[in-house]
Amino acid sequence: MKASLFFLGGTLVLQGIPDNFKVPAPFQFVHQRWRCEAYHYPLVLSWLQEEKIRNQVPRWQRLKLSLHNPREPHDYQLAALDAWLAADKRGSVVIPTGAGKTFIALHAIKQVNASTLVLVPTVSLLYQWYVVLTNMFQTEIGVYYHAEKHVLPITVTTYHSAGDMLAEHGNEFRLLICDEVHHLPAKTWGEAALMTPAPYRLGLTATYPEDTEQSGERWRLDDLLGPIVYTKRIDSLLGKQLADYRTQRIRVNLNDKERTEYDATYAIYSSYIREQRLRGRHGPHWLQELFRLSAYDPQARQALLARQRIWEIIEGCQEKLVMLEQLLREYAQERILIFTESNTLAYNLSRKYLIPAITHETGVAERKHILEAFQQGHYRALITAKVLNEGIDVPEAKIAIVLGGSSSKREYIQRLGRILRKQELKQAVLFELLARKTIEESKVQRRHVPKGIVDVNE
Amino acid sequence: MLTSDLIRPQLRLQGKNISIAMVNQQDPERQKTASEVIDLFRSHLGRSQEVWEQSLNAYIGARIDYIFVRGLAKVLVDNANFTPVQATYAPTVVRETMFAYGPVFPDSDMLHPVSRDSVLESVAQNLQLAREDVETLLFADRHASYLLTETGPSWTPTMLLARYNLELARGVLYWASHLTIEIADNYKDIWKFIKLFKLMFIAQPLSSGGYRIELDGPISPFVGATLRYGRQMAAFLPALFLCEHWSMHAEVYPPQGRGAMNYQMDHTSNLQSHFKRSGEFDSRLEADFAAEFAAKIGERRGKWRLLRESDLLVLGDTVMVPDFVMVDNRDERRRILVELVGFWHPDYLRRKIEKVRAANCSHLLLLVYKGLNVTEEDFQGVASEVLFFPNKPVLKDVMATVEEMALRIYGPAST
Repeated sequence: MKASLFFLGGTLVLQGIPDNFKVPAPFQFVHQRWRCEAYHYPLVLSWLQEEKIRNQVPRWQRLKLSLHNPREPHDYQLAALDAWLAADKRGSVVIPTGAGKTFIALHAIKQVNASTLVLVPTVSLLYQWYVVLTNMFQTEIGVYYHAEKHVLPITVTTYHSAGDMLAEHGNEFRLLICDEVHHLPAKTWGEAALMTPAPYRLGLTATYPEDTEQSGERWRLDDLLGPIVYTKRIDSLLGKQLADYRTQRIRVNLNDKERTEYDATYAIYSSYIREQRLRGRHGPHWLQELFRLSAYDPQARQALLARQRIWEIIEGCQEKLVMLEQLLREYAQERILIFTESNTLAYNLSRKYLIPAITHETGVAERKHILEAFQQGHYRALITAKVLNEGIDVPEAKIAIVLGGSSSKREYIQRLGRILRKQELKQAVLFELLARKTIEESKVQRRHVPKGIVDVNE
Repeated sequence: MLTSDLIRPQLRLQGKNISIAMVNQQDPERQKTASEVIDLFRSHLGRSQEVWEQSLNAYIGARIDYIFVRGLAKVLVDNANFTPVQATYAPTVVRETMFAYGPVFPDSDMLHPVSRDSVLESVAQNLQLAREDVETLLFADRHASYLLTETGPSWTPTMLLARYNLELARGVLYWASHLTIEIADNYKDIWKFIKLFKLMFIAQPLSSGGYRIELDGPISPFVGATLRYGRQMAAFLPALFLCEHWSMHAEVYPPQGRGAMNYQMDHTSNLQSHFKRSGEFDSRLEADFAAEFAAKIGERRGKWRLLRESDLLVLGDTVMVPDFVMVDNRDERRRILVELVGFWHPDYLRRKIEKVRAANCSHLLLLVYKGLNVTEEDFQGVASEVLFFPNKPVLKDVMATVEEMALRIYGPAST
């Protein structure tokens, strides 16, 4: 049998080479064959050629890409690109958020002009890359995540799905781009980067991980991708992209029916938490403990159900919906973004007002269509349930309305501000609808109130 | 398979051992619940997934066994079919058309002269649909709108509980890094499933007969305790229950922490596989050969006994399970493997020849159909004995060759 090297589930396997043959370092004799992790591929290439071993690894394609965007790169973007090219197309570029690291990546793809895989930490970023890549190269882009699995010469996947994807398709890409590469040292996520032979690798981040974050059980980025090839300091860019917006809180009342149900439900919930002293005993893990107890203790189960119900009442209460309609009518000429907590509410509102909704169910193609139509003013309003909140590029809007919900929502309200860009002389407004005398209100009061927030108490 | 949130609460940790809390299939309370869930599910035939989920939530209410009930429901749904509503227009088209008018309100005013009603009316007219159809189509492509069109097998409560237990048993493996099994029969099915779920293996014969097989994935040897193949191992597990005697041992890293734990099971666990055992014979040719052997030689005048697929040839990272083994009744160590190479596709045949060549096995007898696109040259350098046949193997010749081979390999049989 002729000796050959092939790709198998994230590893490279030598066929027809006996165990007493002298093979280079990364190979180990396991499961009756010489094997190594796929990322050693560039290291063993010259040995393959010397020994005339048939190389069956690469399945990547040459592409004929052209850039469909007249935008000129900034000097520092060109410098970063040059540094990466000079480092044999391996290594990381460290530049601040908003300084255009995606743009560097697009030029890197153009330079390599071959099949490329982009790894991103969240599904939201996957959508964003999908749109940018589609527009830039005017070609069909593949996506691979829990809801859609479609592999093409240029594909975007999440760190979470990368392992499964690379086990199957690891040898179909010549360039590997890791966005937000500081996530990569995590145990399973870094494991994924071992599973492709892609010789060219580019890491992008604003915050390169410290040495301590790349040790112990974690992976070293130097090993996985190569060294830092370019760094741009943060202060040189600061201040250019600040958004100008204000947050306006609108407090509404629960109606009588809602109030009665809320009070009764809240009593069930809070008395159990208090009596069991869950917060005191379990600190930040109290909710986890409540989930555990709910499989044994009928009262805990009731408390858990009560907790779910009170957030439903808060989010979908009548006055909020009335207020939402008022705002929709009032800002008839503006672009409006509406944020809900639940899919159900998002789809109900979508049906009621005939406004497009984006949820985690919305596929990449339709999402792109909706966002572009919104940007062009074809759609005036847009509803989204928990998907446009992860620090990604959302189209410009003058008005954002947050219907409220659980506490985690609060964390990204600050971030939302960034999406409301300053346009001409008008200021963007973020309306936060709060139900009075509920846990929603008390959560807000406990929070530090930043400057520029106006409370409207009607 | 169950989602991990339905498995996790049922995990039981004790010292270094992990197990899962299965339900008692005979418990009348459990039977009653299973029966109610089955009835509820069946009553939703023709209704949407959303309605089913609402009904299930209503049924569960404040029950504390909600994880159990959700598990039963998951088993039912996984084995049923929800299909999209037949649509004259793609829902995306209907949405684009409708949303072009939004936001609209129930009533019109000066700024919004068009009400939702009038939008619906005009869209319905343009698409030549009834208004209700437009409403239905608007989100018809959401899974929530899919209709339950097939409720799956005719579940009995006992069947459902048994299947639920099986799903719990395999769910533990979601967090497994390594699986070791010991089996002594049914190799062909086992190998079929190992391949199907893309697992890697090392097989070692046991002195007691049978094999110990270690299963993991290609990257496993390089990254320590990876959980990457947990789902594949879980998917594979029911194949094991097809064997008569089996045991398994897995290294599991439960999500609650505490490091590596042991997870063990064997054939006394009463788990039943829902996988299908492959038919007794792969081909007519094999069936005929076995029948002829039974009729002409059988147990009466046999020096040789014919066993089916009971031995294993381990060839590096693959295996071969020869169709038959001739075992000498006078001395059980005298074994001749018999493989029938029948009417196969040329590609399959080429792979088979490669395999045989790799096996470098002298006690293998190949019976090859002569009409095939193969000649004796193709078997040059093959260590095994080859016997060609025109229509079907001639039993007399086969037995003579078996005797010859046995004499050559093992020497004369002691009588």
